[in-house]
Amino acid sequence: MNRTGLPDWLSDALPERAAAPTEIAEAARHQVETIGLPGLRDEEWRWTNLRAIQRGRFHAPSGVGADVEPSTRLPLDNPLRLRFVDGAFQGVPDDLPEGVAITALADADEATRAAAFSPKPAPSVENPNDALVTLNTAMAREGVVVDVAANAIVERPIVIEWLDGATESTMSHPRVLIRLGESASATLIEHVETVGEKPAWRNSVIVSSIAANAALTHIALGLDGESRLSTTRTFAALERDARYHSHNVQLGGRMIRREYDVHVGGTGAHTDLIGLMMPHGKQLLDTHTRITHAAADTTSNEHYRTIADDAGRGVFKGRILIEQDAQRIEAYQSSNNLILSDDAEIDAKPELEIYADDVSCSHGATIGRLDQEALFYLRTRGIALDEARGLLIAGFAQEVIDELPIPALRDWLTTRVEQRLNDRSLPVDSDA
Amino acid sequence: MTETQELEQLVKREYKYGFTTDIEQEIIPPGLDEDVVRMISAKKKEPEFMLEWRLSAFRHWQTMTEPEWAHVHYPRIDYQALSYYAAPKSQEELDAEAPESLDDVDPKLLETYEKLGIPLHERAALAGVKGANVAVDAVFDSVSVTTTFKEKLAEAGVIFCSFSEAVENHPELVKKYLGTVVPQGDNFFAALNSAVFSDGSFVYVPKGVKCPMELSTYFRINAKNTGQFERTLIIAEEGASVSYLEGCTAPQRDENQLHAAVVELVALDDAEIKYSTVQNWYPGDEEGKGGIYNFVTKRGECRGDRSKITWTQVEAGSAITWKYPSCVLKGDDSVGEFYSVAVGNNYQQIDSGTKMIHLGKRTRSTIVSKGISAGHAENAYRGLVHIGKTATDARNFTQCDSLLIGDRCGAHTFPYIEAKNASAQVEHEATTSKVSDDQMFYLRSRGLSEEDAMNMVVSGFCKDVFNELPMEFAVEAQALLAVSLEGSVG
Repeated sequence: MNRTGLPDWLSDALPERAAAPTEIAEAARHQVETIGLPGLRDEEWRWTNLRAIQRGRFHAPSGVGADVEPSTRLPLDNPLRLRFVDGAFQGVPDDLPEGVAITALADADEATRAAAFSPKPAPSVENPNDALVTLNTAMAREGVVVDVAANAIVERPIVIEWLDGATESTMSHPRVLIRLGESASATLIEHVETVGEKPAWRNSVIVSSIAANAALTHIALGLDGESRLSTTRTFAALERDARYHSHNVQLGGRMIRREYDVHVGGTGAHTDLIGLMMPHGKQLLDTHTRITHAAADTTSNEHYRTIADDAGRGVFKGRILIEQDAQRIEAYQSSNNLILSDDAEIDAKPELEIYADDVSCSHGATIGRLDQEALFYLRTRGIALDEARGLLIAGFAQEVIDELPIPALRDWLTTRVEQRLNDRSLPVDSDA
Repeated sequence: MTETQELEQLVKREYKYGFTTDIEQEIIPPGLDEDVVRMISAKKKEPEFMLEWRLSAFRHWQTMTEPEWAHVHYPRIDYQALSYYAAPKSQEELDAEAPESLDDVDPKLLETYEKLGIPLHERAALAGVKGANVAVDAVFDSVSVTTTFKEKLAEAGVIFCSFSEAVENHPELVKKYLGTVVPQGDNFFAALNSAVFSDGSFVYVPKGVKCPMELSTYFRINAKNTGQFERTLIIAEEGASVSYLEGCTAPQRDENQLHAAVVELVALDDAEIKYSTVQNWYPGDEEGKGGIYNFVTKRGECRGDRSKITWTQVEAGSAITWKYPSCVLKGDDSVGEFYSVAVGNNYQQIDSGTKMIHLGKRTRSTIVSKGISAGHAENAYRGLVHIGKTATDARNFTQCDSLLIGDRCGAHTFPYIEAKNASAQVEHEATTSKVSDDQMFYLRSRGLSEEDAMNMVVSGFCKDVFNELPMEFAVEAQALLAVSLEGSVG
C-alpha cells in the first residue's frame, strides 16, 4: 500500500536527540519517516480520522507557561501533583511519600529509559497501526518515571496534570513510566485539561509494570477543552496475582483517542477496564482496548458506556486475546451505547480472539435509544418527558461512575455529568 | 485411522486427476490478460455488452491488490499461473476417467455417502460413475423428473437456467441486473470473477409468482463443470418468492484450487428469497496440505419495500473459506436474515460472517452464527451491522457463539457495529466456550459413547441454524457435522 509518510512539518520536528536509548530512537525515527501517520485504511484507525493532526502544523512548545493552573480542582485528599504544561514536565515535588521515587525522564539512567521505551506487550515498529507510539519514541524528550517500592501502600493519589494548549498550537510527545514493586499499591490519576484557546495535540505514552501481588488503579479524566487533540497509549504488564484497574472518563476535547494494552501475564492476575465517554458537539471520543491473557487462571472484566449527542461520535473497540495454553480464563466485556441525536454516531467492535479451549468468554454490545417502557413508566408517575429522559440518561452514566474507587471523586463526577446533561436542550421525542 | 481421515485420503487420491496440467485443446493456456478475457467471451459467444462488462471489470481488477485483512494465511496465489477457461469435457473424456459402475467406486467413499444419507440415485452421479445420468434415468427416471420440473417452472413463468443460457435468451434481464448488487470493482475476487466467470445459475421469478418448488443446483443438468468462477443471479419480482439450494453435503471433487464465486440476489417489493448453502469442498489433508480456497462474494439487495432475504449456510469444507453473505436493506420494512454454521477441523481456516446494511425505515435483521473449531482449525466470525442515517427505527439482533473442541484451535469474533440513527436498536452477543465437562458426563452416564455425546452437544449447539434449513438439507447437514468432526474427540 502506498503510504504518504510523515507530513513535512512533523518530519522537520524530529529531534536529533531523544530520551529513548539511541538505538531504539534511531529505529523509531527511521520507521515513522517511512510509514507516516495511520490512515483510515489501517484497521485500528478505520473510524478515526487524523486529518486534524495531519493538517495541524503543530510545533514544539517554546517552554513558557510554567505558572498555568488547572481550572478544575479535583476533590482529592493531599494529592501528589506531577504537572505537565504543553508536554513539558514542571519538576519533581519535594514532599514525596515513603516508598515513592520520582525522576524526570531526562535525568533517568540508561536502563530506566530503556524500560520506559520497551513496553509489554511490545508494539510493532513496522505496523502502521502502532505508528503513533513509534512517533512518540522518536520524539519524546519530556517525561517522568514513578517507582513505587515493594510493599509500599501509597495512600496519596499520584495526579498527572496534563495542561495542554497553554501557549500556541503546540504538540508534545511525553512518556511516562510507572513501576510497582511486589505487593505495592498506588493510584494514578490523569487530569487532562486544555487551558488555552489554541488547538494542542498531545501524543503521550504511559508504560506501567505491575509486579506480583501489586495493584495499580489508573483513572483518566478528560475534562474541559474543545480544542484538544490527544492520542494516548497505555501499556500495563501484570505479573502473578497483580491487579490493574482502569477507569477512563472522557467528557471534553475535539478528538480524543485512548488505547489500552493490558498484558495479563501472571497466574491469578486480574484487570478491570471501565469507561464512560460522552461525545457531544462535534467531538470524537475513541477508546481502543486490547487485553491479552498470556497466563492461565487469569480474569478480566470490561465495561464501557457511551452517550453520543449532537454530532458527536463515540468509538469503542475492545479486543480480548487468549493465548494458546492460557487455560481457565474468564473474560467478560460489555459495551452499551446510547445515541441521543440523529447526527450522532456510535461505532463499536468488540473482538474475541481465542486460542485456548478451557475458557469462558463473552461479550455483549448494544446500541439503542432510551428504554421506551421505562420512559412510559416514569411519565405515568407524573414526571415530565424531559425530566424522565434526563433521569434515564443520568442513570445510564451512573452505573459506570459508581465503579470509581474513590467516593469523593464519584460524587464530584456525578454532579459534573448531571450538569452536562442539564445543559443540553432536550429535543421532544415524537413517539414517546 | 478414523473414517474422516480415510475419507480425506480418498478424496485426496481423486485429485490425481485434478492438479496435473494435461494439455488439452480446449484449455486456454495459463495467464490472464485482455486477450484471455476476450477469448472467454468469444468462446461463450457472448453479446458485445458482456465483453465490455468483462473488460471493464478486468481493467479495474488490475488496479486492485489482494486483500490481507482476513484472519487466514495462505501462500501467495500466482494469478498468471492459473488457467481461466476450460471447455466442458466431452462425454468420452469424462467416461475415460470415470469408474465403470458403483461397484468400482471405493467402498469407503460409498460408506460416507451412506452415513450422510445421500439418496441412492445421487451417489452414482457424485462418485462420477460413467454414464451416471443414464443409469439414474433407468432407475429413477431422473431425466424425466427434470423435464417435469422444467415444465412446471415454465408454467409458472419462472426462468431457471445456466448463466450462459440467460445471456443468450434473456440478455435484457442480465443487462438490467448483472453487477447491480456486487459491482465489478467491489473487491479483488469479485472483480476477478466479473472478468473471467465461466458459468453459473440464473433465476428469474416474475411478479406475484411463488416458485412452485425449491430450486436446487442438483437438478440443473449443466451444473457440472461450471468451473471455479461461478456467477449466480437471482431476481424476485414484486410479490414473488423463491427458495434456492446450493451445494450438497457429499464431499465434492473439484479440479480447481481457487474458487471465486459471486452471487447476487435482488428482491423487489414484497418479494422473498431464501438462499441455502451446504458447502463441503475438499478441505485438504490432516496436515493442511491442499484443499480448496473458497473466496466468495454473496450479497442480496432488498430493493423493494417489505422484501426479505434469508441466507442459511453450513460451511464444512474448503481449506480456506472467505465469505460474507450480506443483505443491503434498502426498502422500507425489509428484512435480512443470516443463519450460519461453520465448522473447521484439522488445519481449515474460516473467516466468514455477514453484513447487514440498514438503509430503509423499520428495517430488521437477525444474525445467528455458530462456529465450531476442532484440531488446528481457525474459525473467525466477521460481521458488520450498519445502521444508516436514513434507517429510522431499524433493529438488529446478533448472536454469535463459538465452540472449541481441543486446545490447538482458535475461535474468533470480529463484529463491526456502526449506528448513525438515534432510533437504532442493535444488540450483539457473543460467547466462546468448550463443550462443558458436565454435559459430557451427563450424556456418558446415560450410556452414550464419547463421540455420540459430542455429536449430540454439537447438534444442539447448531439447532437454531438447522431449523432454518429446508427439511432434507437439515438432516444431511447434521450427518455432515458428525462426519466433519470425526476423530476430534477422544
